Amino acid sequence: MIYWGGNPAECHPRHFTKYSLTQKGKFIPNGRKDRTMVLVDIRETPSAKAADLFLQVRPGKDFELVTVLRAVVKGQRVDEASVAETGITMDQVNDLVAQMKAARFGVIFFGMGVSMTRGKHMNSAAILMLAAEMNAFTKFVAMPMRGHGNVTGSDVVMRYTTGYPFGVSLSRGYPRFNPGEFSTVDLLVRGDIDACLVLGADPGATMPQPAIDHMARVPTIVLDPKVTHTSRLARVHITTAVTGVSAPGTVYRMDEVPLPLRPALKSPYPTDEEVVRRIREAVKRRPAWLPQRNGKAVG
Amino acid sequence: MSLIIVKNATCTFCGCVCDDIELHADGEKIVETKRACSLGESWFKHHTAERLYPDALIDGHPATVDDAVERAADYLVAADMPLVYGLSNVTCETQREAVSLAELVGGVIDSHTSL
Repeated sequence: MIYWGGNPAECHPRHFTKYSLTQKGKFIPNGRKDRTMVLVDIRETPSAKAADLFLQVRPGKDFELVTVLRAVVKGQRVDEASVAETGITMDQVNDLVAQMKAARFGVIFFGMGVSMTRGKHMNSAAILMLAAEMNAFTKFVAMPMRGHGNVTGSDVVMRYTTGYPFGVSLSRGYPRFNPGEFSTVDLLVRGDIDACLVLGADPGATMPQPAIDHMARVPTIVLDPKVTHTSRLARVHITTAVTGVSAPGTVYRMDEVPLPLRPALKSPYPTDEEVVRRIREAVKRRPAWLPQRNGKAVG
Repeated sequence: MSLIIVKNATCTFCGCVCDDIELHADGEKIVETKRACSLGESWFKHHTAERLYPDALIDGHPATVDDAVERAADYLVAADMPLVYGLSNVTCETQREAVSLAELVGGVIDSHTSL
């Protein structure tokens, strides 16, 4: 088990005990004793205490280290100087690769330290390639450590409705997928969009300032159980019930297992589902959009 | 107020989505969260069913949900390229409605995954 660029001890406290590290299974009757855990991170977080092996990679060198591992896995020669630049020694690399190949079933859990630092998509892609290539030797998988509740569900739902997991443009009437072009931060920073509906997120608190500035320029609509940072710059805010606490439905776990919600409270507010449906019905009542030039319909 | 006990409740704070939580709810508040981690406990106890915020706000002023829904529809129809964003802390049923809405208004739909 390799955790890369994540701190499950603090960010996913039950990941070790409920899912990954200590659970006993048919082929691992002794649970933790039968497993080897490796942590790769830029600093020694509390998760390192749980690990058998901690590798401290230099910040921004994740892609380089994955690439070195991929080369060593395939038995190719690597330049020792470029290995040293990652903060990991050649001996550590060889030892890790030997342990990975000796495993009967390996998994790489990669966190936001990989997917949200320099290299972004490329880092995630390299880790997925490493896991894929390891299957020439043993069974190996890679799984992202998802932060927010149902972000996995949004991937799944968009995949089965549009064919793509995120960043989908439907402006031509059919889905097109292109991260970088249709991803939110890029759209906002370039000023491409002219209205924004935000639900189940608070980008006003987390996104780069130029993106927030554009959200404040265009009409923004927020659906949230609270009046958020984004609500304050929005033209419309609608308060909704809290998912899982007072709103029922289905959510996906990060390993893509769908689970039903069992809300304990009754909210005085409508659910997100109901509000989005009502907005959709209100849109349907309006005349269809036609392309216009200088105020006149064309085409 | 009678105590409501929900067994095998699902926590949606993080991507682990633990579904073995036992919740004790006292009307408007959750008072006990068995088996939840510290993050899950504060998530459940933090959200109450009290009416703390106005139903809706239009330009910062309290409004009805009906008016807010109509205003939202106006903005989305008037836009050439609207964006539907977020989708992390909502149910799959909501996400499906959101995809349908994005298709209807010819917009872009995106989630936290792209960050």
